[in-house]
Amino acid sequence: MGAPSFEITQDKLRYSFGLINRMTIPPALNSLDPRVHRLPITGEPGPLVPLAPLDQFGTFEVFVQPKDGKPFQHEGIVHAPNLKMAYVLAKETFTRRFTCISMYVVETRNVMVSPMSEGDMNAYDLIDEESVSYNVGEKTRYEIYHLMKRGKQQVHVGSVEASHPQEAFVEAKQMLNSEKAVHNIWAIRTRDIQFTSPEEKDLWLTLPEKKFRDAMEYRGGEKLKQFLEDRKRHPRYE
Amino acid sequence: MSEIALKELLYKMADDQLILGHRNSEWTGMGPLLEEDIAFSSMAQDKVGQSLALYTLLLQLGEHEPDTVAFTRDAQQFHNCILVELPNGEYDFSLIRHFLFDTAEALRFQMLANSSYEPLAQLARKIRGELRYHTLHANIWINQLGSATEESTGRLQRSLEFALPYALGAFEESAYETELISSGIFIGEKMLKDQWVTQIETILQTTNLRIPDWKLIQPVFGGRAGHHSIHLSLLLEEMSEVFRIDPGAEW
Repeated sequence: MGAPSFEITQDKLRYSFGLINRMTIPPALNSLDPRVHRLPITGEPGPLVPLAPLDQFGTFEVFVQPKDGKPFQHEGIVHAPNLKMAYVLAKETFTRRFTCISMYVVETRNVMVSPMSEGDMNAYDLIDEESVSYNVGEKTRYEIYHLMKRGKQQVHVGSVEASHPQEAFVEAKQMLNSEKAVHNIWAIRTRDIQFTSPEEKDLWLTLPEKKFRDAMEYRGGEKLKQFLEDRKRHPRYE
Repeated sequence: MSEIALKELLYKMADDQLILGHRNSEWTGMGPLLEEDIAFSSMAQDKVGQSLALYTLLLQLGEHEPDTVAFTRDAQQFHNCILVELPNGEYDFSLIRHFLFDTAEALRFQMLANSSYEPLAQLARKIRGELRYHTLHANIWINQLGSATEESTGRLQRSLEFALPYALGAFEESAYETELISSGIFIGEKMLKDQWVTQIETILQTTNLRIPDWKLIQPVFGGRAGHHSIHLSLLLEEMSEVFRIDPGAEW
């Protein structure tokens, strides 16, 4: 029998696009609405297949250095197919407004995270040191980050040498622990990071002149207020 | 030093930046990924900013205000190459154009960093970081999509073959070429083109894209002399719409 309403749609299509040849009409509507394609086909026999992964990019963490002498801080996340593209996409997403001098990115799954502390507790005290084995293989460098206040960003505090991430946290506790309670600690193996090379530092050379990207600078609110007041005085736009 | 030779150089560079800046800004809000939308829009803004800097140099040489120059000229008074005025089409063409044009633009400004005309040399040194990002962005995208799937390489290959004659048209020589070279203002279009060809070949070698025989590509000239495609007048009409309604408008 087919669906009569669908036939009507095809007729409408043929009419609106002026199509004469019946063969040019696809057998099913190729909708631009992505939800249509996500609908499962039901009631049809078929093979047994593995669950397909979602067709989407992985995530990468972005760190920015605001000025010389200041540490890198976590700025946000970008989606990208790989580390190099993440760097390129992160540059304008996170450093197009506020002045900065350097940036780096790392794949999210390469960030090792400590437990989160509560109140005045220090996250370093929540790490189970007993179970950590030491000097089991070649040592490599890890970058360490502290979250000092909830709702703030992770800030780079230094680096340690360790043979695996757990050991890096224990090393950091000895070398970099602070008197104030640390709420959360991150450790990233240095060689997993896509850094800005020294010659790429000129990428942000003209950024201080791009104040026009700041909402503050173009005073949108003030201009709107002025416009509304003008309109009240001269109601010709009404 | 001949001022008319210098002005001609500044006008064609400024017009290239303005027109491509405007074209690329048409992708704002419609880019293929959120992050890429932001990056491409940002670079478009850079280009318009660079055109403003060049029009300001022209103002210092006695030409009209940048806004007047940008918004009130007719198509035949523009000196941009035809490559930059072509409609965006699909993203593959926009990416290929971005790659071909920005590679040339970055090389041009690199050469101009040593220009005998000091204000231009200063500008070239100042914007080197912006150009570095633009070429880094273009190279990484071309590298990624130029060796990914059959569809991505096929699309880029077709766009490359379509764009190359127009890209070569960007190196159309000026009537003042020898003067610019001998006065040390600019090394010349011929030299720029040779370096550009080498650079394009180096990047494309890392992909599955193939450059047709250079000798068989017929450059599309005319833009530098004001002979444009219909697309430029349509673009100008849209770009100057607000200015024509209210020349004093602020936003």
